[in-house]
Amino acid sequence: MIPDYLESLVRELDFDRSLSRCVRQEVEDHLWEAVAADSTGNMLEAQRRAIANFGDARAIAAQFAVVSLAQRTRRAGIAAVLVIAGDLIAMKARVAWYAAAQWGISDDMKALRGLVILIDRYAFLTSVIVGLGALAYIHTREIPAAFYPAFRRQLRCFSLLCSAAAAALVVSVISDGVLTALQVQGMEPSVEIWVAILTMAIEIACAGFLVFHIRSNTRRAESAAALLKA
Amino acid sequence: MLKGHLDMIVLAALASGSAHGYAVIEEIKRRSGGAFDLPEGTIYPALHRLEQAGLLKSTWTTADSGRRRRVYTLTRTGNRALVERRAVWKQFSDAVGGLLGGSRPRETPA
Repeated sequence: MIPDYLESLVRELDFDRSLSRCVRQEVEDHLWEAVAADSTGNMLEAQRRAIANFGDARAIAAQFAVVSLAQRTRRAGIAAVLVIAGDLIAMKARVAWYAAAQWGISDDMKALRGLVILIDRYAFLTSVIVGLGALAYIHTREIPAAFYPAFRRQLRCFSLLCSAAAAALVVSVISDGVLTALQVQGMEPSVEIWVAILTMAIEIACAGFLVFHIRSNTRRAESAAALLKA
Repeated sequence: MLKGHLDMIVLAALASGSAHGYAVIEEIKRRSGGAFDLPEGTIYPALHRLEQAGLLKSTWTTADSGRRRRVYTLTRTGNRALVERRAVWKQFSDAVGGLLGGSRPRETPA
């Protein structure tokens, strides 16, 4: 009886595998302890009573869904800031490499380069400010006990901030791509070029990771919200 | 009404020392004289939420039965939060008591 109940709880908590594993162990310990403490001496009746006292698996999973959502959004905020920091490091490394290799750029490209640098700078600055804002916003909210409308609004607001930070970062990475193309155009393939391309690949991977993370977080939020609505 | 105070109740139950979920529930039942009859499973999301908020910390141990057991402990922040909530509750309880009993609540120094 208890294993069946645990299986149904794990199924309900499918939206968060690590949470479901952890909750299963905790609940298993609880239920068997309740059975051991039961004075009736009837094993099946004790199990039935322990499960009834514990409550409906779906209702409990719905409460965990709120905790899981809150945890994931907080992690997403930290991930967003780390990704932006990673992007900055790659960007700075490339610029330092250009300086060390004393790479110049042709005069007719300088005006275009200046414009792209401006776009890059403001896009990156926007992603930093909005990303830090999203992190501060979500970390200063209390974790609610239920899926209240205020919590729904918080999630929506956080998601918007993260999406804005990711969009600004993508613009910055595209600008960096244009700058790198301007820098390496017409050059023979060499180690120097590969360093520039590698740092560019790191930037693209960072931006891609952030977009993927936001997308997967939104999907999880939707599936958890569906559980709460049902 | 109980739901709104669940966090405070759980913190209070852990004030006397570390405990796992089942022991927290037993402590709540014992100290409330069995007055709080909530589904036992609702304690666990509350414990996880309080841990996320930094008010509790947990460690996994192995029980005598050989099963894995998660034991919760009040953190320093949790202790402070409990003291604050106790004070707010006392103020509220005195005020309501005064209203219902007809006596003036005790003045607390500002």
